[in-house]
Amino acid sequence: MDIQDLVKKSKQGDQEALVKLIMSKKDDYYKLAYVYMKNSEDAMDAMEDMIVILYENIHKLKKEDAFYSWSNTILVNCCKNILRKNKKNIALDFLKDGIYESRFDEKEDQLMIQRYLSRLNYKHQEAIKLRYFLDLDYETISNILKVPLGTVKSRISIGIKKLRKMLEVQEYE
Amino acid sequence: MNEIEKMLKENKSQTDTLQPPDELEDRLRSALKKSCTHKKVKKRWKMKVAVVLITFILGGYYIDTLAFYTKKLIGYDQVMDSNLKELNQLGNGQTIQKSYTFKNEVMVTLDGVMLDDNQLLMFYTIKDPHKKVDQLELVSHSIEGLLGDYGLQRGYGSINDDKTEMKIINTFESPSIFENKLKWTFRLMKKDVDVQEEGEITFTLNKDKAMGYTLKKDINKKIKIDKGQIKFNSILASKTMTRIEGNIQNPIELVRDNITQKRFRPNYIELELIVNDKKIEEQGSGISTSKDGIKFYKNYDPIIIDLKKVQMKFISLEADYDVNEKIKIQKNNKNKSFKVFNQDIIINQVSQSEGKTFVTITTKEDVILSRVNLMIDEKKVSLQKTISDKYDKNTHKRTLVFEDIGENLELDIQRMRYKEIYNKTIDIPIN
Repeated sequence: MDIQDLVKKSKQGDQEALVKLIMSKKDDYYKLAYVYMKNSEDAMDAMEDMIVILYENIHKLKKEDAFYSWSNTILVNCCKNILRKNKKNIALDFLKDGIYESRFDEKEDQLMIQRYLSRLNYKHQEAIKLRYFLDLDYETISNILKVPLGTVKSRISIGIKKLRKMLEVQEYE
Repeated sequence: MNEIEKMLKENKSQTDTLQPPDELEDRLRSALKKSCTHKKVKKRWKMKVAVVLITFILGGYYIDTLAFYTKKLIGYDQVMDSNLKELNQLGNGQTIQKSYTFKNEVMVTLDGVMLDDNQLLMFYTIKDPHKKVDQLELVSHSIEGLLGDYGLQRGYGSINDDKTEMKIINTFESPSIFENKLKWTFRLMKKDVDVQEEGEITFTLNKDKAMGYTLKKDINKKIKIDKGQIKFNSILASKTMTRIEGNIQNPIELVRDNITQKRFRPNYIELELIVNDKKIEEQGSGISTSKDGIKFYKNYDPIIIDLKKVQMKFISLEADYDVNEKIKIQKNNKNKSFKVFNQDIIINQVSQSEGKTFVTITTKEDVILSRVNLMIDEKKVSLQKTISDKYDKNTHKRTLVFEDIGENLELDIQRMRYKEIYNKTIDIPIN
């Protein structure tokens, strides 16, 4: 069954069709959510929130083939909502500097770039992660975030410039 | 592409290896069902700490704060787990109440500390009159004593609703018993601002409050692994946590492997602590490589019940190995298999189209070619991406995409990550 049929069925209230739609691109959704949430449990929570919102609003979707870009935007919003709710519970990720290797990543420069990335303005961070961690093109990012193409480009280039500056400072330290 | 973009792109290969857990489909389905029955999905209130996962018990825990306010740390109910709350209620914390105020009026107050043989816990508050405490971070912590420095291990905390106050618990290595006066230095960092200001608070430890340990034993058990042996050295249980320490490679082995370019980097040691036949929750773990070899620790919840039997179960070891092997592959290769470090790698298909070479491989689920290139006519082409992941009964099939084509193809496996299962139980004597 193709996407359009599944979307039509979902519009009629077929839950299984909606689950199928999501599962057929589960890797993409999951990776997108993971980039925001940084752990599997929260990524899946965001996807749960997303499917509920999709189900309740899919009748509003006019173009069937826009389903994936529409649902990606909703997923990103779900991630941001959870992050906002959890904001008062901050997790300060302290590891003994430079000695302990991270479980997923042993490369020091990678650790360093992650650390600096987290210090960037959130909007710059977000655009850089979508561009480089998920390899999305500018247009897709602009669609997901609902901001103009030029804004995406400038967020990425400003972010990269700031990162470069931070890394230069690091070298002198 | 500049250096930074390259580094950022390397993250993509990590993102590419991400796979949604199998339970996802069921969770989506049941989320829909729940929403339809109009039951509100109640989210678990949880807090994730990068290394440590502590579940907080909220509510139902009232402390008669007024009566004991001089002995107890106040205002940390949301940050302390149930065990810390109990220790605090019993008056095991030492109140300090010393502050440092930065130029921008941000004030850091060390409310108190808790000390046992495993760690020093520091309870502090950051107050920002400008209501932007969420933009602040205390970094570069160091605790200095007469005999040395004690490193920061982890930190977690919570911010109040109007963003004026942040309550944080940081844990440090436990200072030597001969230490009295300690100097805590830190830097205040504001998001997006490069200027940092340094502050310090000096305090004296009250040794009467130190909780020592509840169980301290040498384990000294060795288990043979792929690369030599893993040695479990000791267990130290205290009222705030339980810690097991050990090492994997001694300095000589480490140097040897570095010289021969046959390095081995353990990623994760799966080790269960079982007390009176009950599994103890893991809090966190770490592996460090230094000139002293490869050492590890595993932290667990405190064991506060009557100890009858203490066991450890070494389940598995996941590590990244230097491989540096080149394997010739051909475009008509179909389901050709070979072994690298005793791990089966099946080349399902090799094809070329639109200027790209696609190599489909199948391995065991936990095997990852963590650094792999394709030599195309003796030119090194790095992995562009991995696509079409399929998991099936412990196997993982995926297609590696390289952005070039040619005749002579060699898969250049530089590093590989896999998990070895051991399942060995070790009894720890308690008497």
